[in-house]
Amino acid sequence: MGDERRQFDEIFVPHLDAAYNLARWIVQNDQDAQDVVQEAYIRALKGFHGFRGGNGRAWLLTIVRNAAYTWLNKHASDQKWVPYLEEKHAEIISIDQSANESRMEKRREDLHSALERLPPEFREVIILYEIEGLSYKEMALSLGVPVGTVMSRLSRARRRLREEFERAKTRRAANGM
Amino acid sequence: MECDEVSRLLDAYVDGELDETTRPDVQKHLDGCPGCRMGAERIAAFSSLVRATLPLYKAPSELKAKIRASLREASAPESHWLFRIRRPLIYAAAIPVLSLVLATTLRTLAPNRNQELISQAITNHARSLMVDHLVDVSSSDRHTVGPWFNGKLDYSPPVADLAQEGYALVGGRIDMLDKRPVAAIVYRKGAQVINMFVWPVTNGKIDFDVQSDRGYHFCGWNQSGLNYLCISAATAEDIEKFEDEFRDHINL
Repeated sequence: MGDERRQFDEIFVPHLDAAYNLARWIVQNDQDAQDVVQEAYIRALKGFHGFRGGNGRAWLLTIVRNAAYTWLNKHASDQKWVPYLEEKHAEIISIDQSANESRMEKRREDLHSALERLPPEFREVIILYEIEGLSYKEMALSLGVPVGTVMSRLSRARRRLREEFERAKTRRAANGM
Repeated sequence: MECDEVSRLLDAYVDGELDETTRPDVQKHLDGCPGCRMGAERIAAFSSLVRATLPLYKAPSELKAKIRASLREASAPESHWLFRIRRPLIYAAAIPVLSLVLATTLRTLAPNRNQELISQAITNHARSLMVDHLVDVSSSDRHTVGPWFNGKLDYSPPVADLAQEGYALVGGRIDMLDKRPVAAIVYRKGAQVINMFVWPVTNGKIDFDVQSDRGYHFCGWNQSGLNYLCISAATAEDIEKFEDEFRDHINL
């Protein structure tokens, strides 16, 4: 393995979970997220000689989200792609229906289904900001939009997420769970 | 400023992402408006809830193997060519990435060493916050913190008083970095702790622009034979300004 490949592995392999999480939240299914991440890593390796240090994680995540959007655009008209399928996406959380299901578990579940209901542009900024800790400036570079757009998009995304979260809680209460 | 305008800026205010000219206006409005203040608190609380609660997907174990295989395949010229034909959109998608890379760093040095130091610094920083071992000497007086290092290290790290600039000195401790004991000087910007590691450049100088990883921001530079590496969850702007102020102060 060449020096460049070793360097690549050292810098990007540790970010595999982050890459997969972002892709998974954008394309919303396991196999497609795996394909997207795989393509993104190939792209990253090909462009790696141009990488001059700096924030490797942000650099990689930019490639991942671009690959995910390419995938979304390609499949937007496909019948097989359905934006939200509860039974398909439910496997991440072990839904414990017992009476002592913890409050934390319920919150996780409500938040998960709330984020699932947001459009991909909103899901993406929530993950990049809240989970990956990118700054507004880094997000602007990554998304290819002005910082002002990042600001308003994140603000709207949070508001929508909070509304969906409240709705999920209400639904749960109504179902007596 | 009116409530309407403030509400549009509230998220950026909570995130510490407002520019220096807008922030004071929003602050002033919040001081006099309980409604907007409550809005800001709600945003901050929800943001913490999301960070603490949102379930994250872990990469399936087979993905790593698949990636290794496809990377090997991608190095072969035929598949390289096929890939280009089959997936032109991916290539188009990479254009903004390449321009991002060009735009990022002029001040660079072996990324490996930087990454390694940064990983160590993250570990040190996180540990200093977790085990309640932030400082061995606790003082906001640089004439107490500076001399405390005497006899504990074979060099004398400069300590600057940056309280006027909004960075309160918390104290100092000895930590390990770059395979040696180093001075950790601790400042606070609002709620955020800044750990600044200072050590001689004998293993190599560091110098890189503000960057971020796992929610932290870093900057590194060298000055008068000493390396400086700062890490904090404060904003990139706060870290950049910290570097500027600190350098100015020890140059005086």
